Amino acid sequence: MSDVSDNAELPNQPVPDTGKRDLEYYARILEEARSIKGTSLWQDAWKQLKRNRAAMVSLVFLILLAVLAFFTPLLPLQSPIYQDIEQRQLSAPSFSAIPLYPESIFENDEQLPKLSNESEIASRKQEILVTTLWNNPGTVSQWLIKLRLSVFGTWSIPSLCGTDNLGRDVLSRVFWGARVSIIVGIVATFVSLLIGVSYGAISGFMGGKVDNIMMRIVDVIYSVPFIFVVIFMITIVKEDQISAVLEKWGIDQIKVFFIMIGMIYWLTMARVVRGQVISLKNEQFVEAARTIGASPTRIIFKHLIPNVMGIVIVYLTLTIPAVMRFEAFLSFLGLGVEAPDVSWGLLVNEGIQVITPIKTYGWLVLYPGLTLALTLFALSFLGDGLRDALDPKMKNK
Amino acid sequence: MIPRWLRNSFPYLAIGILLAGLGYAISFGQLEPADFTYNNGAEIKTVDPALATGSPEGRIINGLFEGLLRNMPTGTEPDETSSIPLRPVTMGMADTFEISEDGKTYTFHIRESAKWSNGDSVTAEDFRWSWQRMLHPETGSEYVYQLYSIEGALQYNTGAIELGGIVEVEHGQRQTRTELFPRANISRGKLVAHGTWSAADGVVWAKASATDSGSGSHGHGDSEQEGDTPIEVYKVTVYSSDHILDELDLSGDSHEMLFIKYTDDQKVPESIAGEYTRCFHVLPDFQSTVGLKVSGSDQRILSVQLVEPTPYFSDLVAFYPLYPVHRKTVETHGAMGWTKQENIVTNGPFLLDDRRIRDRIRLVKNPRYWNADGVSLEIIDALSVESDTTALNMYMNGQVDWLTSLPTMIMKDLMPREDFVSAPMLASYFYRLNVDQKPLDDVRVRRALNMALDKVKITERVSKAGEIPARSYVPPGLAGYDGYQCGEFNVKEAKRLLAEAGFPGGEGFPTMRILYNTNDNHQAIAQVIQQDWKNNLGIEVRLENMEWRTFLSNVSETQFDIARAGWIGDYPDPNTFLDMFVTDGPNNQTNWSNQQYDALIESAKTLRGEERLKALSEAEKILMEEQPIIPIYYYVSKNMVSDRVKGFSANIQDVHPLHVLTVEDK
Amino acid sequence: MFAFLLRRLGWAILTVWIVYTVTFFLMRSVPGGPFDGERQLPEEVERNLLEKYNLNDPVHIQYFNGIRDIVANPIGEKFGPSIRLADYNVDEVIAQGFPVSASLGIFAMVFALLLGMTSGVISAIKRNSALDVGFMAAATLGISVPSFVLASVAVIVFVFWIPIFPAAGWGELSQILLPALCLGAPFAGYIARLTRTGMLEVLGQDYIRTAYAKGLATRRVVVRHALRGAILPVVSYLGPAVAGILTGSLIVERIFYLPGMGSHFIEAALQRDYPLAMGMVLVYTCLLYVMNTLVDISYGVIDPRVKVE
Repeated sequence: MSDVSDNAELPNQPVPDTGKRDLEYYARILEEARSIKGTSLWQDAWKQLKRNRAAMVSLVFLILLAVLAFFTPLLPLQSPIYQDIEQRQLSAPSFSAIPLYPESIFENDEQLPKLSNESEIASRKQEILVTTLWNNPGTVSQWLIKLRLSVFGTWSIPSLCGTDNLGRDVLSRVFWGARVSIIVGIVATFVSLLIGVSYGAISGFMGGKVDNIMMRIVDVIYSVPFIFVVIFMITIVKEDQISAVLEKWGIDQIKVFFIMIGMIYWLTMARVVRGQVISLKNEQFVEAARTIGASPTRIIFKHLIPNVMGIVIVYLTLTIPAVMRFEAFLSFLGLGVEAPDVSWGLLVNEGIQVITPIKTYGWLVLYPGLTLALTLFALSFLGDGLRDALDPKMKNK
Repeated sequence: MIPRWLRNSFPYLAIGILLAGLGYAISFGQLEPADFTYNNGAEIKTVDPALATGSPEGRIINGLFEGLLRNMPTGTEPDETSSIPLRPVTMGMADTFEISEDGKTYTFHIRESAKWSNGDSVTAEDFRWSWQRMLHPETGSEYVYQLYSIEGALQYNTGAIELGGIVEVEHGQRQTRTELFPRANISRGKLVAHGTWSAADGVVWAKASATDSGSGSHGHGDSEQEGDTPIEVYKVTVYSSDHILDELDLSGDSHEMLFIKYTDDQKVPESIAGEYTRCFHVLPDFQSTVGLKVSGSDQRILSVQLVEPTPYFSDLVAFYPLYPVHRKTVETHGAMGWTKQENIVTNGPFLLDDRRIRDRIRLVKNPRYWNADGVSLEIIDALSVESDTTALNMYMNGQVDWLTSLPTMIMKDLMPREDFVSAPMLASYFYRLNVDQKPLDDVRVRRALNMALDKVKITERVSKAGEIPARSYVPPGLAGYDGYQCGEFNVKEAKRLLAEAGFPGGEGFPTMRILYNTNDNHQAIAQVIQQDWKNNLGIEVRLENMEWRTFLSNVSETQFDIARAGWIGDYPDPNTFLDMFVTDGPNNQTNWSNQQYDALIESAKTLRGEERLKALSEAEKILMEEQPIIPIYYYVSKNMVSDRVKGFSANIQDVHPLHVLTVEDK
Repeated sequence: MFAFLLRRLGWAILTVWIVYTVTFFLMRSVPGGPFDGERQLPEEVERNLLEKYNLNDPVHIQYFNGIRDIVANPIGEKFGPSIRLADYNVDEVIAQGFPVSASLGIFAMVFALLLGMTSGVISAIKRNSALDVGFMAAATLGISVPSFVLASVAVIVFVFWIPIFPAAGWGELSQILLPALCLGAPFAGYIARLTRTGMLEVLGQDYIRTAYAKGLATRRVVVRHALRGAILPVVSYLGPAVAGILTGSLIVERIFYLPGMGSHFIEAALQRDYPLAMGMVLVYTCLLYVMNTLVDISYGVIDPRVKVE
């Protein structure tokens, strides 16, 4: 033992014994400390949230929706784009089973009659189905669609939500529309998050003149009538040469759409984050970081931003609905996604055109409108729950 | 800190603002109810006949003004197309007119009872002045080509001057920059020489070039080109003349003058500016070069000299751009001022009583109209509801008596209604193919695309208002004209043609784009066509939706593979459809060119009667065999008219004059 | 206060200038011009039209001319003639449309505030009661349903099923109510939720307890003491709400056929009516800026602790 000399003053104490007791003691304290550390802000919030029934139902609904949207190609739905305009134009919701495709779909293919091998015919048929019944699915979607074809075959859910003006299944379109609407919501919000949080944090942390100027800039942008800018941007992006350049970079119109919406919604985020950062930056942990020589960048991104995440998440649940509503608004103006792609906004907009005093095809607006409303409903309840859970003042209320 | 008094006055301020808003909102409601209210569609651009385009404008201008002749649905017997034909035999301001033997001179006699709403008589001079104003390059009339059949009109409009020709020069001071018909000082005389001035070379007089397109040498307002605008100089022997429309006395006093034309941005040195007089325009002299003559003791006879016998000239005269305007009013109040309700002077059955942007245009009966006894409606409100659904709501609610545009989505449910009034129209819905784009340069591909389309499905299931599937470009219903039909719906033949062109089963066929402007109907049709081509030919097309202006600019620069198009005939004659597809015609927009076609259209200009129609029919045959376009359907007019309205009859040009309508009490 | 307004004015001018510049160049870079039509114009005619509207000068000259006109010309001639509405100056178009949009906006706002705050306060006081749940569900529904759906359904219900309103148009009180309700509904929802949260926070504070302890009636406590503190989040929401009402009015004006500015706004952009578009953008910018400033001031009016700077 190296500490013999230290223990020289306590000659009669059995050295190993003492050490053992202390170790146990420390271990116990450590244990206790560990268990206390276990309830971090996030765990605490989670506990709070779990108590809020409305928020939990909403969360489950949203997760379910996201999963369903992702696995839409796998579900035994009808084709979202195949028009059966002769037979099923604007037909009311019904439970009678509908085959996925008419047999005539293979009639006009040149290659099929030339093939003799059974498996070749099957794969050719599958290829025809994938390209005819779905609109340019991506690799993952294609794979899922093929899986769906082999699992469910030609069976598909009847038109429970009716069909639209061109005889397409509304249920299926609502599901495929969910993919676009949800992605628009999430990506645009993410873009606004990126810009807003960094901008707000930098502004708040720097303070003084920089803060003043940066916030004035936000004020200026606040006064810009954005819908105007959006109209122009959408038209510019559609210009041939520009869209060619963008395509080279792998950016299609829908991505530009996300980015643009994101760029509108970062302003409030920046203000909120700035307010939080200002109140946080004089806290001791920031001082501590500064004294040990952390760079401003490190302090902002390592110490401040994680601490404002709570309010940011709450704000996110407000931004996503706003973005989704904006998408619907653009669809109303005819500036939304390109047919035959679908989004909820587009579907709802198609729906309101057949609410007339002469004839109302209610299902066209009811189902997409309901899904959209439910989603926004859920997001707002979840947002409330999160705010209550993350706000220490609301605790035990 | 905010002062206390301000803090305390805040709630009162808020209440005040609210009351002000309320007061304004209900101040609109003081109008007397109208006899008849209809939805005119989009907000009109202007009530100035020379500057207006489009049918909403047409409906208003037809109420306010009247031309020499008038388009009226005549008779009550529908012809085989189940529409009532239009013949502009109905007299307007003119009570008779004669056509000369060779068909090149029209003489109109204006009725004595023709009066402006301020009591002035309508004279032939009014027409000549109105048409001159329309032709003046600075008026910028979009329909100016309607006058091009008049001798010298094209040259006057484009400023094509000739050495030795008589010219008019506008120089001196103008009153305002937005003057509608800018007239500073006018000097008239013979053009002796014409040249350009530049800082480097000084004045260079053009040598022997006989004709010169005058000022028309620079293109659009791009900044690079702007610097190159030549500064033009003219030498003119000026004769004294008191009035622009007087006969020019070439034996009278004369002196030589030098003119120079430059813009405000161009720098011209003192020395030149002193020697030369700055001018705005040098145009061919209107009085002596344009084929319009006014005669008669009280200027009631207008004779019009045409370049070619133009059998549809009487239709042109009955079309609203050629309606007259009141000269004194235009000159006194200038642009924007003269069309205001407090200033405007008109000669039609109605007066402009009130106008609120995007709210209503109120017309009231004109007691000075020559046929005022035949006009029954006293007050008409023309609304400009753009949403068809909203307009339908207002109609169903009794706020509107006539709808000019209906929501497509529920057309199926509107069609069987008794108040749905429809007739075939002189208009075609078609797709343009860019024939420079491979593989659309192959005529077999173009034919295959046409034959693979089930047009019956499109008209019955998508457009749904009883449109007729089209296999020719010129709509049926033009007397004496037989069009040529292109291939019918035949998938087998289409596939054979496509295979012949090297794309069996659509293999190797590049992905094409269909361009259409934002509209539910266009979108639905494009989606159906997309599926038809995919299922029947195995070819892939992408849809591209563009808002109207971007769409138009792409189409006019032929930046598309396939583009949606529509054409409404200006006058009931196949020529209004066919002459647009001549090589490099401004409305061709397909890059298609065929010499034989051009020759036929050209020859039709000089032919008359049956032979002319035959030539045009031959031309259509070429067009339909070559297929730079795919006809889809012929439009029908779609109106909903309340049953309290009488005198409304469907017709091929969808013209419904307001002054023949009567209403029963609500 | 005066210095504050002066400073704000300076920023306002800068804002307007920036917005003008951005919109101007953005608009000129968009393909398609005001004179593209289904019928191609003869080159000569098109050139003269461009000249008439001073559009054939180099772009930078047009830009400076535009600014010069706005600064130097008297009100009524600032933006020059509209291209799309050729019988009017842009200033006249704005002068006709602005009061309509403004009164619609005021009505919608008043409706949103009245309904939102009342239901918010009731919800907070009767926390977790059926009334609370009902109000909050209605509020969330108002926020969740896109306003064009709400408007379309409202027309069918209140015009045709229960015929109490005219279908569309402008001029009578009955014609403004339904559009104002539809326009204000989502904001009423937001305000109700904000008020409720604010009230809950305030009701737990000491000074409220003191007020109760003094024996004041609930009504008096709520109206005189609690509401003032609870209203702050609502006030700070008013800025975005005004922006939202302006955007929303584009839809409502279209569905209810109101002669406001909203329809011009989109139309001017789509039709490439450059002067009208510039006029619209600047009016909207000024409006937003003024409203944001007013919100900042009213913050100070309501809460004496807040210094306006």
